[in-house]
Amino acid sequence: MNWRKRMDWLWSHALLIVICFIFFFPVLWLILASFSATGSIYDLSGFFPKAFSLNGYITLFGDTVMYDYPNWLKNTLFVAVCSSILGTTLVILTAYTISRFQFKARKVLMKSTLVLSMFPGFMTMTAVYLLMVNFNLINQLWALILIYAAGAPMGYLTQKGYFDSISASVFEAARLDGASNFRIFRSIALPLSKPIIVYTALTQFAWPWSDFILPNLLLKNKNLWTVAVGLMHLDETQFTRFAAGSIFIAVPIVILYFALSGFLVSGVTAGAAKE
Amino acid sequence: MNGKPLILQAVQCPSPRVKASMILMGLGQILSREYIKGLLYLASLAAYVGYLAMIGITDIAGFITLGTVEADPWLGTAGDDSIIMMLRGLLAIVLTVGIVLLYRSNLRDILETEQLGLYGGNALPFPEAVRHFLDRKFYIVALALPVIGVMVFNVIPILFMILISFTNYGGNIIPPKLVDWTGLDSFRRVLSLTGIRETFFRILGWNMIWALASTAVNYFGGLGLALLLNKKCFKFKKFWRMFPIIAYAVPGFITLLAFKFLFSYGGPINYYITQAGSSAIGFLDIDAGLKAKLIGLGVNAWISIPTSMLLATGILSNMNESLYEAASIDGASPWQQFKKITLPFVVFSTTPVLITNFIGNFNNFGIFYFLRGGLYMDGYFLASDTDLLINWLYNLSIDNNYYSIGAAVSLIIFIITSVLSLSVYVRSNAYRKEDTYR
Repeated sequence: MNWRKRMDWLWSHALLIVICFIFFFPVLWLILASFSATGSIYDLSGFFPKAFSLNGYITLFGDTVMYDYPNWLKNTLFVAVCSSILGTTLVILTAYTISRFQFKARKVLMKSTLVLSMFPGFMTMTAVYLLMVNFNLINQLWALILIYAAGAPMGYLTQKGYFDSISASVFEAARLDGASNFRIFRSIALPLSKPIIVYTALTQFAWPWSDFILPNLLLKNKNLWTVAVGLMHLDETQFTRFAAGSIFIAVPIVILYFALSGFLVSGVTAGAAKE
Repeated sequence: MNGKPLILQAVQCPSPRVKASMILMGLGQILSREYIKGLLYLASLAAYVGYLAMIGITDIAGFITLGTVEADPWLGTAGDDSIIMMLRGLLAIVLTVGIVLLYRSNLRDILETEQLGLYGGNALPFPEAVRHFLDRKFYIVALALPVIGVMVFNVIPILFMILISFTNYGGNIIPPKLVDWTGLDSFRRVLSLTGIRETFFRILGWNMIWALASTAVNYFGGLGLALLLNKKCFKFKKFWRMFPIIAYAVPGFITLLAFKFLFSYGGPINYYITQAGSSAIGFLDIDAGLKAKLIGLGVNAWISIPTSMLLATGILSNMNESLYEAASIDGASPWQQFKKITLPFVVFSTTPVLITNFIGNFNNFGIFYFLRGGLYMDGYFLASDTDLLINWLYNLSIDNNYYSIGAAVSLIIFIITSVLSLSVYVRSNAYRKEDTYR
């Protein structure tokens, strides 16, 4: 290695370490704070707790009078799982159909989803909120699920890109053999699309799992709060509880992302190139 | 089927059965001895007419007047609820569109029966016809649920908001008070009423700066990080890449709340500042000004750079290595290689994403809602200097019930973002070649 290369190696590593530190430190700070023996942010000395204990997690699950974390978790899981199942079904159906079939309304549908997606999502939410208030549907978990799932097909482009990449000859051969379109979908398309189904299910799960706008608007009843809404209501004196609650729901999703990181990269890229 | 409009084809077709179906939906089908299909058409028509006679007409009339009787608690009269009336009118209109579409399908069906000579008992028996339909028109069956879902939870709410923007709904005027159609009044108020106008243009200016700056920071930050990680001198790439991916996977609201704690009075940064003997700084206070804006930019970068890094990594892996070899043989410096090879390629393949990101940042609700939500500053109407239009929209319509002004603001946001993105999008290569990927 000559001198120039060595310098290059050095500054590249220095820069990367600094960047990784910036990305990791806030997370580390939360992890440390979640093991703080005392609850308030004022009891920490800077970034570090004065004493460590599992107290944060014990109160998180034990002391539920004011802040019922187990219940929030239950609500979040319920909403996220149901909307993931429903939403994935709808997205896959939409993407497959738009990719595989040529019909009159196809271009119209594609253009109108494009136009619809340009309305600020917030506008729809305000309207949904007003509608729900007017029809007295506020404080319903299933309303939340329906809204998430029904909105999912709007983001069908990544999945369509995937179906576009499957060679049409497979389907045509089956068609010649007399298979019905439903059978082709069930026995050929679905088995071939496992990766994209996993990707879709994960993204459809992660969205309600970490959304705060909609639950904050629609769930006024404390029993129905999701984790996001609940954590929003914790102030500086409940910092350890906040940190513990955050780490507890962030860890599963981080692990999921890592387990599926291969899908993620290809999914993000597919969406980019095919849009 | 040829390209002539459906209705013209039906008029020109000499068959009495087609004429019958034109006059009374489903009649032709019954005359062709397709009894079940014909009866289904007839029944839906009857149901629609019944609906119209019972409530539909009143609903449409109510849609136009938005109520005439105001509730009077003293006299105990139950008044009209304008918003419910508007919604019922909207429903009546949607149903009418539905019946028109069904009428068209009835015409198409009878013409097809006629052309194929299937009338008079030659048609497929009903169960088989259904199976045939399900197979041949699989796309209708498959798309029915998604389309209905999007209709109910996207299209109708959007229509509703558009309608609201043409009324005076909000402020003091909420049911039981009567709401009225006021035309473009809400838009006029946003663009010309003293107080609201200044707020609007101030926020719009900041919103533009924010969207441009944050998109640029995130995009080039991600590209830079991807290029850095692509350097040959790094072993354990997977290990290094792990850190941004952790940041990417942590739910956004946790990150945002954590950063809010980080910069709060009790937070660690102020702890060190006070330890050093200075007084604590209100990083996100109402008078924080530029500090708060920069913090927002940084926090947004922290959240978004990992995504754009993943994207850039994927795109860089598709690049042709030999280009670089040729360039370095020709003596091009790394900077020249970046400018002449990498950048054009990456920008070219990510234009649509760039637009999506720009729109996403333009409407980035979370950042300033969490960092300093609910602050109202002097010189602003129900907003603060870091609020984006979308945050203002929230303050207006959710927190303060200014529904019609909020709806007008959201339509203005829509016009801005759609004009911006369409003008770029239509020109981009990715759009022109939409179906050439197969």
